[in-house]
Amino acid sequence: MSRNLWEIKRLRLKPELIWSMALSSLRLRMGRTLLTLLTVSACCAFLLFLLTAPISDDPADRQMWGLMITLSLLVSVAGVLNTMLMSVTQRYREIGTIKCLGALDSFVLLSVMLESALLGLTGALLGIVGGLILSFGMGLLDAGAGVFAAAYWSGLGWKILVSAFVGLALTTLGAAFPAAVAARMPPVEAMRGEK
Amino acid sequence: MSATSLIDARDVQRYYKSGATVVKALDGVTLEIRAGEYLSLMGPSGSGKTTFFNIIGALDVPTGGSVKLGERELASLSMAELSYLRCANIGYIFQNYNLVEVFSALRNVTLPMRFLGLTEAEANDKAAMLLKRVGLDHRMHHLPNELSGGQQQRVAIARALANDPMLVLADEPTGNLDTKTATSIVELLSELSREKGVTIVSATHDHRMLSVSDRVVYLRDGRVERILNRDELKISVGSIGS
Ligand SMILES: Nc1ncnc2c1ncn2[C@@H]1O[C@H](COP(=O)(O)OP(=O)(O)OP(=O)(O)O)[C@@H](O)[C@H]1O
Ligand SMILES: [Mg+2]
Repeated sequence: MSRNLWEIKRLRLKPELIWSMALSSLRLRMGRTLLTLLTVSACCAFLLFLLTAPISDDPADRQMWGLMITLSLLVSVAGVLNTMLMSVTQRYREIGTIKCLGALDSFVLLSVMLESALLGLTGALLGIVGGLILSFGMGLLDAGAGVFAAAYWSGLGWKILVSAFVGLALTTLGAAFPAAVAARMPPVEAMRGEK
Repeated sequence: MSATSLIDARDVQRYYKSGATVVKALDGVTLEIRAGEYLSLMGPSGSGKTTFFNIIGALDVPTGGSVKLGERELASLSMAELSYLRCANIGYIFQNYNLVEVFSALRNVTLPMRFLGLTEAEANDKAAMLLKRVGLDHRMHHLPNELSGGQQQRVAIARALANDPMLVLADEPTGNLDTKTATSIVELLSELSREKGVTIVSATHDHRMLSVSDRVVYLRDGRVERILNRDELKISVGSIGS
């Protein structure tokens, strides 16, 4: 009981604690975890499919395609962002609570970002596999045996990277923004729940 | 202000605006709380007890007035300094428990210790000891939603004591407990206050908790209505015949 109240020390961030928070949350909110995975992987698969799909040369066709692609991309991006936003607003109360126990704002932000990055990464991997299967199927219909030619798949590497990056970035940043807002609120305000 | 005063709240106001109306949850509360004192806060529902807790516990920001904790003005502390203060020096027991849903009882109790820098083994040992003290050693690895209300309350109490705080803020800590458990919690808190000099501020409707108090502060409509000292208390509570 001899601790001096007037002396204020620095709390340290503990990486293993950030990991354990993120992993517990993924495990115990399994329903939410799977839903997010589905949304992210669908988005990545769709993007990769678009990047690799054969496109017709007819200008009228191309215009129609362009419109549909833009719209559906918007829908899937909004889907991912919405899922991440919901998943963070759902736990405002928890964020308020751990702040009462001494969590630094950076702890709150980093644990949410780590959790969503893990989701984003897994979702992106699943999505790439899904996207490749889709593209291969379409290619088979379109080009027949030509789909086995190396030229058909030119630039595949960067296409995969782009879709994975987009999936990961959307997931992580989509969660980081509301988490940063919650982390900076006074704890009671966060504990009252989403606003 | 005396040298031993731990909390010095001056003309604290907390107004909530909703549309055109203003709710004055606290309307000019001035109160000095001495180090080591056991203070009970009473008042009807909506009188501002929880609001006052949140403000002196650095969880909420007043719209007017000032709060000093020791020599430090709360408004002058940075976010990181406030985190340290909450972690190391204040234990909170909330009206609705507020346990971390994804963590077991044990990990709820270890979390503040881990934030403060204890190793996992150190924190586990101490948490097990605290949970035993509130009679929950057989439920350590259960999640909050697998526990009854009273059990969650006791986890919250163990968690509040994790870092040996010098101030414990308890918002109706015995509200959901049976008489026997409630009595043991009251005894635990008063023991902390007597033996370790921990300052306890507790909101309550429970007359058992009044008997161990050094002072009782009555709030009404966001103002201090009256303050009774221990000696006045006996007469007053006795005469009500609770
Ligand atoms: N976030 C808020 N927005 C608007 N009004 C609020 C808010 N929080 C509290 N109030 C109001 O402030 C007043 C005091 O509330 P408080 O929770 O402090 O009461 P209390 O004394 O703890 O009551 P109880 O015994 O029921 O817990 C109430 O009139 C309440 O409606
Ligand atoms: Mg209350």
